Amino acid sequence: MELFDLFNYALGIRALIASVLVGLMCGVLGCFIVLRNMSLVGDALAHAVLPGVVVGFIVGGAGVLAIFTGAVVAGLLTAICITWIQHNVKTKNDAAIGIVFTAMFSIGVMWISKVAREGAHLDLDHFLFGNVLGLSNSDLYLTAGITVYVLLSVVLFYRYLFATTFQPVIAETMGISVRAIHYYLMLLLSFAVVASMQAVGVILVVAMLITPASTALLLTNRLKYMLLISAIIGVLASVIGLMITDFYNTTPGPAMAVTATLFYLLAVFFAPQKGLLFKFLYKRKIRKRIQFEDTLKQTLKLHERSSLSLPNLKERLGFNLNTLKYNLNLLARKGLVRQSSGTLAITSEGIKQATRLVRAHRLWETYLVQEMSMDAGQIHEEAEIYEHVLTDELLDEIEANLSYPKLDPHGAPIPQNDYQPDKSLSSLSIDTVAEVAENQLNSYLVTRLWQLGIGHDESFKVMSKTEDFIEIKIDDELVKVPVTLADKINVET
Amino acid sequence: MGAISIKGLSVSYDRKTVLTNIYMDLAAGELYGVLGPNGAGKSTLFKAILGLIPVNTGQVLINGEPIDNQRKKMVYIPQKGEIDWQFPATVMDVVMMGRYPFKRILQRLNGQDKNIAMQALRDMGIDQLKDRQIGELSGGQQQRVFIARALCQQADIFLMDEPFVGVDIKTEQKIVEILKTLRKSGKTILVIHHDLSKVHDYFDKVILLNQWLVACGDTEEVFTEENINRAYRGQLNILHKTMLH
Ligand SMILES: Nc1ncnc2c1ncn2[C@@H]1O[C@H](COP(=O)(O)OP(=O)(O)O)[C@@H](O)[C@H]1O
Ligand SMILES: [Mg+2]
Repeated sequence: MELFDLFNYALGIRALIASVLVGLMCGVLGCFIVLRNMSLVGDALAHAVLPGVVVGFIVGGAGVLAIFTGAVVAGLLTAICITWIQHNVKTKNDAAIGIVFTAMFSIGVMWISKVAREGAHLDLDHFLFGNVLGLSNSDLYLTAGITVYVLLSVVLFYRYLFATTFQPVIAETMGISVRAIHYYLMLLLSFAVVASMQAVGVILVVAMLITPASTALLLTNRLKYMLLISAIIGVLASVIGLMITDFYNTTPGPAMAVTATLFYLLAVFFAPQKGLLFKFLYKRKIRKRIQFEDTLKQTLKLHERSSLSLPNLKERLGFNLNTLKYNLNLLARKGLVRQSSGTLAITSEGIKQATRLVRAHRLWETYLVQEMSMDAGQIHEEAEIYEHVLTDELLDEIEANLSYPKLDPHGAPIPQNDYQPDKSLSSLSIDTVAEVAENQLNSYLVTRLWQLGIGHDESFKVMSKTEDFIEIKIDDELVKVPVTLADKINVET
Repeated sequence: MGAISIKGLSVSYDRKTVLTNIYMDLAAGELYGVLGPNGAGKSTLFKAILGLIPVNTGQVLINGEPIDNQRKKMVYIPQKGEIDWQFPATVMDVVMMGRYPFKRILQRLNGQDKNIAMQALRDMGIDQLKDRQIGELSGGQQQRVFIARALCQQADIFLMDEPFVGVDIKTEQKIVEILKTLRKSGKTILVIHHDLSKVHDYFDKVILLNQWLVACGDTEEVFTEENINRAYRGQLNILHKTMLH
């Protein structure tokens, strides 16, 4: 590796270790910055440490610790100023951030130039874009110390960080000081900025904070994994960035930032679930299934009118011939239709599955009208989509909730499950005393009965019967049971 | 002395007074509906009870003690819109928050905390969803997660800010049923609510508020047209009036 040819061995190793540490620390801390929508604050703090660096340099005579202290004080001061303006002056929040940090940054730049002109050994470029290959041992110790401190803080205060980031108000009600956690995070952020200054420079620290974290957020839904993934990407980006620097003889900071961005782009396209490719494929899959199921359903409808033929089907579906043939072949392969020399027929399995779709469509329409009070005129479109996504279980629940309706809002019959109880409530004559059986169609029916105040093992008496309702007396209370529901209730006499 | 007792409470933001001289004594084991027009100070009342905002005058006592001694006993369930549902938090993460108040600063959560959280999840019937990200749940399930967090905290005062905004009527009724069961087990529950037509079905007690306390007591007695008109200062239109009956 050229790294070891160009620079001496110790410098190369130091650069590598520092990069790993910075990637790790920024990756972890960045997760909280991103989740708190504080990316701009992160950038602000990074820029605003400059005047502190100069003060540290002048007062402490270029000692590592003096520069560190100056920078952290400047960072915290900036955080306090920003918050103060946001609370006490009528300035927009992000404008307040911009005003404070550009001012601090400018003072820092002017001051460094002046000090440098006067002969001090202070290179502005090193602060702006980093100087990872010029690290001293004491620089490295400082970076290592800070990294350990930051990571330990995140581990020890994890639940406070989680609670205040997720729901500050709830955290406050539990006696957690949101403000104290905020400033502690600002302190950690200032630490991270100072430690990263040598590796990537103040202008690009924000990239190491937010890019790996945002990448990780695309890859997972859990904060703990997000922290882990972000740390790994941070480390990879800085190490690969350093190698690129060596290979192409460029500046380390930008190389690291660009590498992090490449990881981010990969995630944008290829992340499972949240990636664009995944979304595209998923949409395509759904579209294909809808086409397939629509073909099946219309085949059944034409079959019921005894007018099943390829041209009729094509007209009803509005597909082009290739799409139609593709779907029919798929149906044939699954044994749902039969095709032979131009004739088309639906199999009994095909009828069964198509009927399920019709049932889903009509039950959903009924649900929308009865439970969501939607207008019967506006529900067809929605049901056209939902019929493809409703599971059998959900349909059972909807059906029980609606008391097993027989007709949809347009008056068309809803295909029924062929379930018949051994002895149904509706089969009882007036004055019969009976009990609700323990064994019922499914748990949704049991819940429905429970809602009506009918538990099993309770005996009841049939009081009256009309076309629509059966009235029963249970625990001295009269309950009106819709006949359609009574048909499905299993009873014991 | 009731579960929540408020004496001469006044709150203002900047120079604008939002709550004026509120006195009330809320009994334990009751389900209260908190009603009043937009900007009436309902959310502010909750914040004052929770000790989240400074008060001008007056005091709030929880179970006869200052708020700071009783934080554990109270739980706040924010409005749906105030929660970032995309946040990388699982159901379990949220429910486990109920154990935080029991821990000293660097003390870790342990297996026993996990068992309590699991029990709360089972009580709400969402134990199978424990590893789901909160945004993947339905509106009703999301509400259950936050109620489970309250159970996990073993709190006995629940403050719910508009829990029915953005959930369908069926879910709303199921949540009301859950709340009624919780009340039977001795919990004191305050619910900020909008829809005047459901008040009689949902709440045994109501608090009518509009900067001043208009009325507080049994729904049958105080939820009268006169009181509602006073709270809404004539904003009530015919539609609302017809819904009352
Ligand atoms: N943080 C705040 N700063 C200033 N005014 C506020 C703040 N929060 C609420 N208000 C004002 O206080 C009044 C009461 O608000 P709120 O308690 O949210 O009412 P409600 O919940 O009944 O709609 C409103 O006029 C609102 O504009
Ligand atoms: Mg409110």
